Amino acid sequence: MSSVEEVVARVFDAEPDSLDASSSPESVEGWDSMGHLNLIAALEKDFNVSIDIGDAMEMVSVKRIREILLDYGVRA
Amino acid sequence: MDVSADESTERSLRELIAAAELTRAPELESLMTLLGHRLIRGGRLAEAADLVNSASTHGVRLGAAARQLAQAQLRSGDTTHAAVTIREVLKRDPSDVEAQRLLYRLLKGAGQGVEAHGALNRLVELDPTSACATFAYRERPKLGEIAGRPVRIALLSSYVLDPLVPFLDVECRRAGLTPEFYIAPYNQYTQDILSPASGLYAFGPDIVFLALDLEDLFAAVRGLPSIEELARSKAEIHGTIVALVRELRSRSSALIVVHELALNSPSPHGILDNRRGDGLVQWTADLDRDLAQALTAETHTFLLPLRAILARVGLERGQSRKLRYMARMRHADPALRELARASIRYIKPLKGLTRKCVVVDLDGTLWGGVVGELGPEGIQLGPAAPGIEYVDFQEALLNLTKRGILLAICSKNNPDDVLPVLRDHKHMVLREEHFSAMRINWRNKAENLAELAAELNIGRDALVFLDDNPVERELVRQMLPEVLVVEMPKDASQYRSTLEDLTDFELLAVTREDEQRGNQYQANRKRQALEQSSGSLDQYLHSLEIRAEIGSAQAHHVARLVQMFNKTNQFNTTTRRYQTPDVQRFVASTDRHVYVLDVADRFGDHGLVGAAVVREEGDAWVIDNVLLSCRVMGLSVETALLTEISDAAARRGVTRLAGEFIPTPKNAPCADFFGRHGFRADGEAGGTQRWVLDLDAGRIETPSWITATAKRAT
Repeated sequence: MSSVEEVVARVFDAEPDSLDASSSPESVEGWDSMGHLNLIAALEKDFNVSIDIGDAMEMVSVKRIREILLDYGVRA
Repeated sequence: MDVSADESTERSLRELIAAAELTRAPELESLMTLLGHRLIRGGRLAEAADLVNSASTHGVRLGAAARQLAQAQLRSGDTTHAAVTIREVLKRDPSDVEAQRLLYRLLKGAGQGVEAHGALNRLVELDPTSACATFAYRERPKLGEIAGRPVRIALLSSYVLDPLVPFLDVECRRAGLTPEFYIAPYNQYTQDILSPASGLYAFGPDIVFLALDLEDLFAAVRGLPSIEELARSKAEIHGTIVALVRELRSRSSALIVVHELALNSPSPHGILDNRRGDGLVQWTADLDRDLAQALTAETHTFLLPLRAILARVGLERGQSRKLRYMARMRHADPALRELARASIRYIKPLKGLTRKCVVVDLDGTLWGGVVGELGPEGIQLGPAAPGIEYVDFQEALLNLTKRGILLAICSKNNPDDVLPVLRDHKHMVLREEHFSAMRINWRNKAENLAELAAELNIGRDALVFLDDNPVERELVRQMLPEVLVVEMPKDASQYRSTLEDLTDFELLAVTREDEQRGNQYQANRKRQALEQSSGSLDQYLHSLEIRAEIGSAQAHHVARLVQMFNKTNQFNTTTRRYQTPDVQRFVASTDRHVYVLDVADRFGDHGLVGAAVVREEGDAWVIDNVLLSCRVMGLSVETALLTEISDAAARRGVTRLAGEFIPTPKNAPCADFFGRHGFRADGEAGGTQRWVLDLDAGRIETPSWITATAKRAT
């Protein structure tokens, strides 16, 4: 199973090494509103979950994504 | 780090691998992968490469490890070895997305722009998600411009349609187009259309897509509207759209494509929907049918069959409520991709990219099995399986001929084995007369295709090649990259759908010339036979009994004229690509004269095969464009056209006839058009040569083998 960083890296074509828990729309090129939708779609597919809209809108950093995914029983 | 423990782990790994290689143990793959990861992590790339090679000699695929190796090689700057590794991975698994992504990086790094664009196209094909298409879309500008034909596409929508752009971009790039996009500000399509100073008109689109969502036009459709409400809304929606189209048309000559209106959810009436007067399914269908009728009457305007397009992916996969709620979007990735493929069907003919001829192989393509071995009765072809899939495929090919697409054969066979099938096999749908040219021999197929293009007098970029043999396909791809080589599925039951999925055979209108094209090539073969039996060219031309009729263009000529303006490349003096609204304006105006040339000879009617646009400029007439179909090149019928133009000018008291010529890579065949008719060169400005002829110096004579008649407007 992939990590949150790996998914973010793939969606935005970023170097995995350049990402950490604090990575967010401010620090990752392409993580804009459309990019966010693509990221949510990729997270849903990779971790086989369906993310609630409220949660999706709160997933604004790698750290938050990881925390919220825990609520879905996903450790990533 | 305990170095010695590490070394001993590696030693034992290698011993286990050696043992597993001997016994062909199934754990070989995991052992090698472990060692590979270790070597890569330790930066021992050369050893890792050796390992990957040795794995493939043992038939073991180290996909992930090999990809990691390539990444590490790339990071260390060793692009040569990275390329070898990536290509090896892709050879074993052509659908490995990550390897394809690496290949792209590599090509981009090496500055191979054209190849990098191609790698991006392939990448999105392998991973057709918004994320991947968006990645590709953002990468394009970094690759430097390639010489693609430009196309300007505007999207007007009542919802967020922006995510379509990356998908449409890929479709355009595949077609060799370099697109520019305009997206109207969210839900401002009306202002954009109504205001002459809007961004839309400043952009100057070639094509406008108007995508309105039924719920945005008629919110009550989400509830249970009454019969009266439905009737009123239907009239309103219809009126709104037609009015928008007319406004748009009055300010732009762009091709207008309106999306059909479709229900986004099942009817709230459930199974009772089609039993009641206020059912929504039938109401929507009626709305779209009326709209289709109304738009057919508008110039250069189409209704895109959204429902059928979305049906290909289904509501389930094509829609995401989440996207709708979060971002006011309507379509999910699979629907966007399908919509982009449907949209390119309008763009290709608009830009003259319709392919003209399908070249088919025979054994394994038109029928199952090898006729040279099985004989005509042994091949698979008939009303039951196996065999019915080939009949079905042949019917789809025959359908293409009805809109003017030519068929040709390129087969490695003995003609004596094949011709009996074409002539006498009871279940053949396609017969000899359906093929405009044939190459049935044992020669290289690339050479045969080049010859077919020459014989049919069309560009190689007008050919589509269908062959079940991957070796032949690869050869043609390599030697004739401009030919569209279709990746035929191994399973013949998918042949027909593969053909139907091609977006290269669309026409904005079918003309009489299209319907008769197949017959015209038949007649051509007879002409060629006559040419070979004639003693001299002059004798041949006289024996053809050519009749040329020149007249002023009328409204009913417009469709064919637009087709010629956009398709003709060789004999086209300025390659000005006029669209329907332009031509309509010319035909109606008094300071432009549009001439049409119809040609016939003893073997048949060529139809409308020549045209000229003349504009009045002070006391001179300027020949803005002259076009001639390649079918009648070499007969001097263009002289008859010029004779009529100069006579008409002289009758109007004009003393000077000017002509413009803009050279292109393809129009050399008409470079001497003005020169050989007595015009003298009169300078050049901005790539446009100007030529002049003084009309009082004498008349342009039509050659004696042509009987020319002028059909003058009264």
